[in-house]
Parts: sequence; C-alpha cells; structure tokens
Amino acid sequence: MTIAELIMEASEEFVGYSADECLKCNVCLTVCPVARVTDLFPGPKYVGPQAQRFRTGRAQPVQVPGIPFALSPDVTVDYCSGCGWCTSVCPAGVKVAEMNSQSRARMKAGKRPKLRDWGLGQTDLVGQVGVLFSPISNWALANRPIRAIMETTVGIHRAAPFPKFGRRTLQSTWKRRQKRRGTTVIPGPDKAVVYFHGCSANYYEQHVADAAIEILKRNGFETIIPPQVCCGLPLISNGIYTEARQRAHKNLDVLVRYARQGYRIIGTSTSCTHTIKAEYREMLDIHDDDATVVANATWDICEFLLDLHEQGKLDTAFGRLDEDLPYHAPCQLRSHGIGLPAMELFALVPGLRAADMDHDCCGIAGTYGMKKEKYPIGMAVGAPLFEKIRASGATEAACDSETCRWQIEKATGTRTRHPIEILLQAYRAGDAVGAEKRGPLAPAGT
Amino acid sequence: MPSADVVVIGAGLAGLTAAIAAAESGARVLVLAKGHAATHWGPGGIDVAGIPAASTPRDGIHRLAGLPGHPYAFLGDDVAAALEWIRPHLAAEGVDYAGDLDTPHQLVPTSIGGTRRAAILPAGQAAALSPWAAGERLVICGIAGFKDFWPEAIAASLTRERIWEGGNRPASVTPVSVALPGLAARHNLNALQIARRFDDPAWRTTAIEALARAIASVPGSGGRVALPAVLGIREHAAVLAAARDRFPAAPFEMPLVPPSLPGMRLYAALRAALIRAGGRVQIGEMIERVEHDGRRVTAVVAAAAARTYTVRTGALVIATGGIAGGGLVAERDGRLTEPLLGLPVEAPPADQWLAVDAFDPAGHPLEKAGIRTDAELRPVAADGASLFDNVRVAGSLLAGHRYIRERCGDGVALTSGRRAARSLTAVPAGHAAEPGSE
Amino acid sequence: MGESHAYDVLVVGGGATGAGVLRDLARRGLRTLLVERGDYGTGTTGRYHGLLHSGGRYVAKDALAARECIAENRILRRIAPASIEDTGGYFVATPADPDDYVDGFQAACIAADVDCEEIPVAEALRREPALNPGIRRVFKLPDGSVEPWQLIESNIADARAHGSDAWSYQRLVGLERDADRIVAATLHDERSGSLTRVTTRFVVSCAGAWAGQIAAMVDVTVTMHPGKGTMLIYNQRMTDTVINRCHKSSDGDIMVPVHTVAILGTTEQRVEDPDVYEITRDEVAALIREGEKLFPDLGKMRLLRAYAGVRPLYQPPAEATEAALKDGRQISRAHTVLDHGPRDGVENFVTIVGGKLTTFRRMAEDTVDTVCAKLGVTEPCTTADEILPNQVPGKTYWLGHRLADHEAEGGGDANLLCECEFVTRPMLDSFLDGHPGCSLDDVRRGTRLGMGPCQGGFCTFRVAGVVGERAGHAGAADVAELADRAILGFLRERFKGTRPIAAGRQLQEQWMISGVYEGCLGVESLIEREAPEVSREVVGAQR
Repeated sequence: MTIAELIMEASEEFVGYSADECLKCNVCLTVCPVARVTDLFPGPKYVGPQAQRFRTGRAQPVQVPGIPFALSPDVTVDYCSGCGWCTSVCPAGVKVAEMNSQSRARMKAGKRPKLRDWGLGQTDLVGQVGVLFSPISNWALANRPIRAIMETTVGIHRAAPFPKFGRRTLQSTWKRRQKRRGTTVIPGPDKAVVYFHGCSANYYEQHVADAAIEILKRNGFETIIPPQVCCGLPLISNGIYTEARQRAHKNLDVLVRYARQGYRIIGTSTSCTHTIKAEYREMLDIHDDDATVVANATWDICEFLLDLHEQGKLDTAFGRLDEDLPYHAPCQLRSHGIGLPAMELFALVPGLRAADMDHDCCGIAGTYGMKKEKYPIGMAVGAPLFEKIRASGATEAACDSETCRWQIEKATGTRTRHPIEILLQAYRAGDAVGAEKRGPLAPAGT
Repeated sequence: MPSADVVVIGAGLAGLTAAIAAAESGARVLVLAKGHAATHWGPGGIDVAGIPAASTPRDGIHRLAGLPGHPYAFLGDDVAAALEWIRPHLAAEGVDYAGDLDTPHQLVPTSIGGTRRAAILPAGQAAALSPWAAGERLVICGIAGFKDFWPEAIAASLTRERIWEGGNRPASVTPVSVALPGLAARHNLNALQIARRFDDPAWRTTAIEALARAIASVPGSGGRVALPAVLGIREHAAVLAAARDRFPAAPFEMPLVPPSLPGMRLYAALRAALIRAGGRVQIGEMIERVEHDGRRVTAVVAAAAARTYTVRTGALVIATGGIAGGGLVAERDGRLTEPLLGLPVEAPPADQWLAVDAFDPAGHPLEKAGIRTDAELRPVAADGASLFDNVRVAGSLLAGHRYIRERCGDGVALTSGRRAARSLTAVPAGHAAEPGSE
Repeated sequence: MGESHAYDVLVVGGGATGAGVLRDLARRGLRTLLVERGDYGTGTTGRYHGLLHSGGRYVAKDALAARECIAENRILRRIAPASIEDTGGYFVATPADPDDYVDGFQAACIAADVDCEEIPVAEALRREPALNPGIRRVFKLPDGSVEPWQLIESNIADARAHGSDAWSYQRLVGLERDADRIVAATLHDERSGSLTRVTTRFVVSCAGAWAGQIAAMVDVTVTMHPGKGTMLIYNQRMTDTVINRCHKSSDGDIMVPVHTVAILGTTEQRVEDPDVYEITRDEVAALIREGEKLFPDLGKMRLLRAYAGVRPLYQPPAEATEAALKDGRQISRAHTVLDHGPRDGVENFVTIVGGKLTTFRRMAEDTVDTVCAKLGVTEPCTTADEILPNQVPGKTYWLGHRLADHEAEGGGDANLLCECEFVTRPMLDSFLDGHPGCSLDDVRRGTRLGMGPCQGGFCTFRVAGVVGERAGHAGAADVAELADRAILGFLRERFKGTRPIAAGRQLQEQWMISGVYEGCLGVESLIEREAPEVSREVVGAQR
C-alpha cells in the first residue's frame, strides 16, 4: 500500500503499527532537536519504532479502564518533547512522535502521576484559581523565593516562562457580553464561526481572543463562544490519558452540535486545534463519528483567513506596517500540514518584512520545557532561535502558539505576539489611512 | 489554495536539481517531499558512470548510453553540462567537488575495507582520488567507542591485493584508534553526535590535535589518512581545513552507514541553493493524489491533519525515487506501482524480480524497473505515446538504469532533473547551451 | 586421524531432542558425547514455530499427543522458565471454522487434562484488538512461546556439569559396525577439516529428519518422510497471545509471538531431502490469506522474512497408507523410539523420531529408558525434577527485559551493535568469548543479532569490526577473510529469507541496505569471483 493510504489508516487505527514502516535509516535522528542537545535522549528511532518491538500490549489502546496496563520497559522516552519533527521527515510514514507519546503514557500508567505532571495538566483548575486570585497569583509566580520553592517541591523550573493571569476569564467576559446583548439569534454557519479559545486566551491572553473576534467580524463572521474545557493536550503530553479523554468527550459533545450544522470551529492556538484535528483520534483512540465531524470542522485562524483569501473573500485593506518581523513556526503548526499560512498573510501587508526564522523548535514544547529536569534542554534547543531573533534587532516577533510566545519572549526580551495581532494592527493602520483619505466626516466603508 | 508554476515531488538530487533549474528560469517552484531518503543514505559523491569497463566517466556514459533502454541514450550528451552547471551552486554553499569526467575512475577505499569506483567526490573525500605513489602509506584512523568504523578490520581487508583488483594501491595500511574528549562517557555516540562536536571550534581544536598526534605515532611519514565521515556538518569546511593543516598525512573521509554526513551536507547545499534561487521546500508533505484533467496535471493534494492540502500547479516533476525512495511500490500481488499518477511501470514479473543469490554478478532484474519516458522526460505508455503534457519524471524513478550497480544514479538524477525543468520552462529541446552560459 | 576418545554413549544430533537425551544420560551417570554437524539447534529445532504446546491442537485427533503436551508444558515451565514466555493461548472460532469442531472442543480438552476456559469474545478482542472482530467463540489455553537455542544450551550446560560433553561443527561421517554392534564413529571437523575417531558403547541417533542418513551408515533402513513447513516472520507482535484457529489443523492457522516478532505458520509439504527445499511466492501468498482469517489487517503488516523447517515425520512401515503419506498431518506427531536390536540386528543403536519440541524432555526420557534398560543402568530419570542451570524459578521471559535492562543503565545507542534487537557490545563480547571460531549465524542464534527489521543491514559489519578489533594486528589476513565470509555469508543468508516475501516495506528495506552496501561500502569488492564462494551458512540452507 502507499504511504498515503497507510497514514490515513494509521490515523484511524493503531499508531503503534506504523513502527512496521521503519527502515532504520536514522533520518529522524538527524532532525531531532532534543537528541541534538542532550545525551539523556537516544533519539526518536530508538525510543520510537525500535523500542516499540519490545513493548507488550502495544496493539491495545493506551490506558483504557478495565485493561490492565502492560509493564513498560521504557525510561528515556520521557525525554521526547513531542515536537513532531521525526514524524515529518520519516520517508516511510512512521508516526514516531505519536508513538512516543503513547509509550510515555504507558510508562506512567499504573503509577500515580507525579504531582507536577498532574498539575501541569490541570490548566483549567490552575487558570480559574489563578484568575480568581490575580494579581496575587501573578505576584507569586514572579516571586523568586516562591519559584525556588516550586522548583524543589513540584519540579517546575524557577525560570520557566509563565504568562500573567488575566483579571477575568474570557468565558466570564463573554457571558457578560452576551447578557448585555440579551438573547440573540445565532447567525448561520456562513455568517458565524465557533471559537475554541483554549486555555491561553481564556486565562492569560484575552487580547488574542479580542483580536480574533474583531478580525473575524471584519470579514463577516460573528463569533460564538460555547462552554468548553481545556483541549487536553497538557494531559496527553504528560501521559494522563484517561483524564485527557474526559476533556475530549466534554468538548466534542459541545462542538459537535455546531459542527453538524456546518459551523466551522476556529482556534487561535495551533496546539489546541491540532489536538482536536488529529490527537483525539491518533492518541486518545476516539474514533467515533463525532470526533471525525468536529476534526473536519476545525481550523487554525490563519488557515481560515488564508482560505478566505483564496476564495477572494478576505478583507485585504491592510495599511502599511514598516517593520522587520521575525516569525517562528511552532512545531504544532507543522503537524497540521498546511504550510505556513501566517507567512502568506503577512505577505499581503505592505511594508511588512516577515522572515521565517527557519529553526526547528523553540524548546518549550508545551509544558516540557517548564520542567526542572527539562528546562536546560529546552533552552539549549531554542538557543539558536533566540540568537537569531536578538540579532535581527526587531522590536517584536510573531508565533502562533502561546507557550512558544512565552518562551521566546522570556529568552529574548522581545515582545512576541500572535500573527493575528499583527494583522489587526495592519487593519487598523489601513483604517487610519482610509479615515485620512475620506476626511473626518465621511462614513466608514466608502 | 496555494499555487505554483512547478511543483516538484521529491527532495533528492533529481528533485532539488529540477527545482533549482526551474526557479532560475523564473518559475515559482515548490518542492514537496514526505521526508528524506537517498540523500541521507548515500556517500555524497556524484557518481556518473562507474562501471569497471569504462576507462573514464565520459567513456562510461558512452558505454551505458549504448545499453538498450538506458536513460543515458538520451541524457548522455547533457551530463557534462549538468555537472558544470550544478558545481558552482554547490560551491557557493560551501560544498566543493573534485574530479572530472575525463580522469579515469579511482578505486576508493571504503569503511568496510572494500573499494568502490569514484571519480567526482566532495572535497572531504577528494584525497582518495589520486593514484597511490610508490611507497605511499595509508593510515586508517578511527575514533574509540564509535561503532560504525573499525580500523583494524578495515586495514586488514585493505592490505589484500585483490581488494584493489590487483592494481595500484597503498604500500601499507595501518590502523590507529584515538579517544576523543568527552566521548567515552556518553550514552549516545553516532556519526551525527561526533560531527556536531566537530562544529564546535573549541572541541575541534582539541580533537584535531589528538588525531594528529595519533596519526603521527604511526611509523612512516606522509601518505594519506582515512577517517570516518564525521568531520563536521555546518563547519565541515573549517574542520577539513584544520585537519589538512595539522595532520601529517592527507586526510579523507570514508562514508558510513546512514545517516550519511556527506549526503546531508549535499542536501543542505542543494536546499540552500534552491532557497537562494527563490524556491520553497516543504518536507513532511505526504502526497495523497495528483489531480489532472486527462492530459494536464492541475493540482497536487497532500495529506494534512483532518483534511488535505492542495497546491494548484502548472506543471509537475516527479522525482520520488525508485524502490528505495518509495517512488515505486512493490505490492504483495506482484505488481510494481507508481503511486502518484499510476504511471505504467516497466518491470519484470514478480518471480523474476530477484536473483537467487544476493550477490549474483548479473544483479537483480528489478534494478532496472521504473518509468519509461521520452527524451524530454515525459512519461510514456508502452507504445511510446506521451501520457501527460505537463509532467516530467527524473532520477532513479526512470526505467532502464541500475543506479547503484552502474554507479550512474547521480549523473542520471542531475541530468534528468535539469532537463525536466528546462523542458517545462520552455527551453527548446536540443538547445545546445554553451557550458557556463547558464 | 586425530586423538581417539571413548564414551559410554554417542548422541548424534544437537537439536532439542539430542540435548535432552544428553542431559538425561549424563544425569543417569553415563559419560556421553553429543555431536552436531553445525551449530546446535540448526536442524528442525531452530526452524520451528516457537510454540510451547498446550495440547489444544491435538485434543480432537490425537489425545495421547495432547496429554503428553500438557504434561510437558507444565514440566518445562518449572524447569526452564527463562526459555519460556507465558503468553497464554487463544483458540478462536472464526466464521470459517465449522461448529461441530468448536462445540466439542472444550470437552475434548478436559478429557485430555488440558486447561481450557471459554472467555467472552469481547474480552479477547479488548486484549488483542488485531483479531478478527467476527470471531464467534474464544477458548483460553496455556500455550506459550519457547526460545529453542537457550533451551538447548541449558540442557547441554547441565549435562556438562554432570561430566558429559557436546561438540558442535562435528559432522558424523562414518560409523564402524562390527557384526551386531557399533564400535566407533568418525567425525569431520567442519571448521578445521580434521577427523576424529570416537569409540562408544552405544549410539543414540537424534538426527530427526536426517535419521535415515545416520541409520544408513550401518545399513539400517529408517524411512523418514520429511515434511517441510513454511513460516512467516512478522516485524511486530500484533498479538501477545498465541492465537490458534479452533478447527482441524491446516495451513496458516496459528500465530505465535516469539521475542520481538510474531510467527505465522504453517504449511505441510513432503520433501525428499531435508536440506533441499524452496519457498515460493505463491506459498507465501497462500499463508497470508489464511492468516487474514485470524488477523484481517495482516496484509498491511510488515513481513520480515520467510523460513522453513523440516518435520521429522516417521511412519512405521505397517501404517504407511497412501492417504497418510499424502497428508503429512495425519502422521502421528507422537514420537517413536526405534530399538535397532530387535528391528535391524544392531544391538547398541537406538533412533528417536517424530515428536515436537514441547515434548522433547519426554522423548528423551523414553529414549534413555530404552538405552539404560539395554545397558543395565538402573538410575531413574531426574530431568523433570530439577530446574535447569542459571534459571530463577517462576521467572519466565518478559519481552521488555532487554530494553529495560539497557534503559536501567542509561540507555543510549553508543554500545548497541544490533540496534533492532538491542544487542550490546558486552553481550557480543561475552558470546564471542564463549564460542571461539563461531560464525555470524551462530552469533545470531545466540544473541538475536540481525533478526529485526533491517535483517542485519546495520549490524553485520559492526560484528565483523569487533572481531577484527579483538584479533588486533595478529593474523590480519585471517581476520579479513573471516570478515568477508561473515559479511557476505550472513547477508546472503538473510537475503534467502527476504526473497520469497519481497514486497512492500521489506523490499524497500532490502533495497536501501543493498544500496548502502554496494554503493557506499563497496561490498562487491569483497567477493572473490574466481574461487566459488563456499559460505559456511549451509546448514538448513535452501536453494
């Protein structure tokens, strides 16, 4: 069978079987950012398809209640950061990164999760509590002695980049807004989209949500924000699959109702959208119709805007932004397989000199780089990227994934924003020019 | 949806060559590939026609061109031009090639103590290309703890006359092994790890010194020293210069089992040349199907998460490799298929694919399987009729040549890649360009 | 001629049966020598399916064989746990399997003392999701998988500890018969070419499929009906449980997880010469079709190689009916001890034929009982009583142990010579220390080197390199020739198993590896084309 057929099947069937495709050629090893910087990790071929043949129970879905877990022989697979480069470059279609994630989950099955790993997966809990007690929580996370204690007790590195909790959650802001508007008829799927905001926009970066909502509005789409929980990726990454499945089902139950009516589900986090598009099926083995329908309806926001553009429907009244903009493509974006839509959108903005930093991984890899024992690895992985950004002299950088933004900002001191924030700025610059041209009294839109 | 003037599928030597040539003629080029294959497995040289009967590579081209169905029959005259065209591109990216088509092939020693025919090699291997002077020694210098290079075994084998076909060879072959700083304590040690260390100037200096001392400790003087191909990746030129400067014998690399550092350096140079020419490469793209209207390909559809990723295109170059590269798939029912467009594959029946003996001197009939094309590299049906107007095939996917056994794979890849691009971007067929005029 | 040696008993054939006989004789106080023409376990034992029978395959047709199997199954778990993986077994009724067999199955098991529990199909599918979802009934039985070479080595080690001996690479080329007794044997050292004469009071032939050839040396006729069985090795264990079809035995109806691979078998085809047979693509295709009844996705799974073993089938002359001869399966698998005294007029000669690996200890016991009776030795058999050397009671094989052990030391690829099978440098050194002059195929049997997806592509030359390093500068030319034979011979042998299954990913693997060996490493230059290549890898070779 062709590789394409195998990949399509593999995404529905067993990731583990893709170990069968391995030619032992070591190409995956050549691109692994972690193996590049640390002797603790033997590389993707070793912990992936090679070790796979020594794992029992590999044909079974991971961590299913009622099936006793199989004894795991693994140790070093824990150092895989899940960046997905290995899967990308394998000429034979081995799903290496996915296999590693499952093996890590098996390794942890049957043992109580470390408090830290569990905690890093409780993004909603942490978010709610953090927002409730902000600004104290922000103060605490910036306080060095407290961070030192966190490092020794919980294992989160004292220098790990943490965002600031917002004053309120996006959900509560949204509910307030809806209340003010009163009950409204929700527009049809050609005039509205569902926004999967993810934890970062909900608890830390409401401005990203605001930018998304405004840009969507400009392009003729109202935003619907249904109740939702964390996509579950931090739980998957930390090998806590049973809880991850609970999150998944909760989200799918809500989202599927919209997806079946034709609404598209837009996300501003490439990590969240990838989880919904692919990982619910590949990692969590959720193969029902709902999961498929929702996956097919899910779009990254830049992907969506670019698609509008290709249909000739994108508002391209961007004003001029005269700046050099370093751009980092997150690992999770590459796994989408949609090219670099942000770069293509940047090309529509006059004067904007966006440059793809062409670096493999910033090192944060979700929650990986926050952990005490992995922080130095993450920083070493990202070092060339940080160097490039600093050397560019740019005042700001762009990246579609939230944890990458926090990592880059902390390591370089350069403000790092979501691409849609840049686009919004360009729209506003266009408005200003338009207003100037039209004069102060002319209505907008002429 | 995104679009391009030319989409090239496959990022090997043929694909990237085609892409560079197309980009230079002003086309918007996008290279899509699932991953890396032959580039990262091969020894990094440019094998044009390394057959025993040939007196020189040029003679070899001529002889192969005379074999029925060999692509050199219609590509042979262009090999020299293709070579002269690509070399400056590679040199601009720091990868220089030594050798030419008119000097006889040299038997170059290998990392299992054998020899292989070569004529055009990257600078790092070039010292192996000259004939051995009377009394000239060869030192085999290994790195302690590195499992892909065994100096004693290599030297023991290379001391034998028959390995050199009874001809010109070193007067002595002596092994030596060196412990390099920090390697012994490592859990992970492979060619890549060592090469990365060589990229670090501080480590490099210490290592070069240690190697130089070890080589100097071997009785004798001058001559050459063979090392495993681990002398840096990005800083390979600097490492090579330091080695040439400090070693008491002229150093050359011996390529190893994959991942091949010389191959990776060649890939990096080709990719950089393409980007410099304005082209783009996207690795990790799994092509699901190619859309066409019967005579013309219109779009290439790749697998993406929860959907497909479609690129509209004006033309397509298929450079997906042969069986090793995944461009030809051997089905269990005995069919050999070309998965992108279902092009008809020229191949023997399944029960004749492989000879009984792994090392049958006549080789395996399957080696010549591939896609038959016309002189412009358009795929053709059995009756010779062209199948698609805007499709070209390049590289080891072409039928009629045995790219390993005849040591002609790189020559075919380079020449067919360049011609495919020129054919698509409307350089008239048969247009004889002056060398160097491109 | 070389030095002369005197033994009480000479055992011919170093498979499981021979090793079992050696151990039993040694324990009963007889000074015994076992000789084997190749490496131990390169006859049928080394080419069998890897199954530790529960007896479930025989309950319906051959209750005696079933009882023997389950009794020995229990004994082997006690005495040889390290060679056994407790996989458990399922007998599954696929839609293709007739009800009458299935309905009577459990009763037949119970009647033969074979543990048999029916479990819900849903449970079986949860544990083994690759199984055909259409299966109707599932029975759980105590099947397991066995590592034959370790088993043989343990038996030999125990025998040595009791004062007996074993020589490999010693081919029996002649037996001296004096009237009604065999007095001596001549052995040809396959490596050095020298001859050795051994005198003995008794000869036991455990040559299995080759028994006829041994008997012929003293003009005794033993007609063997060698039955070739082809097996397919899959890269991964799509099942951790032995899976049998619950039906009358036929081709391709059992999948056995053995170490890192899963083996589908088997076929039955009469061959003339146990050393000469071929495996065809059609045979492979037929096996896969049958296997798909158990595992519908089998066609998409990575097939590594095909191999065949030759069953030592013996039919006593009275029962050699046409039908029986045609359908090798009808011939009883229960073993037969042939006492050549009353049968053929050679008093001190016994041959053991038939049987299966699971019952090797019992076969040995029956054989040695006969030998001892004839020699007037009254010591009882103790082979079922004591655990084999260097084994921990109850500690059976766990698939993950090699990886776990390696990871416990920090993991990493620095000293992994065979990466596919996690064979480290210390493992190889230890094997080479214990087996001077061995071939690469011997290394393979002893360590599993080259048995993974790359089929020796990456590890072959590394081993040759280690051998070179160990030899140092001394004898460089010998090292070089050894390395050539090792590399070329090993790669040739691996290729033989690839050829019949060449398709898909394994063909791509083979192509990539030969591209590296020919294109990059110049392996062709190692081949001496003038002199015909005599590969040592001749035992069990197929043309």
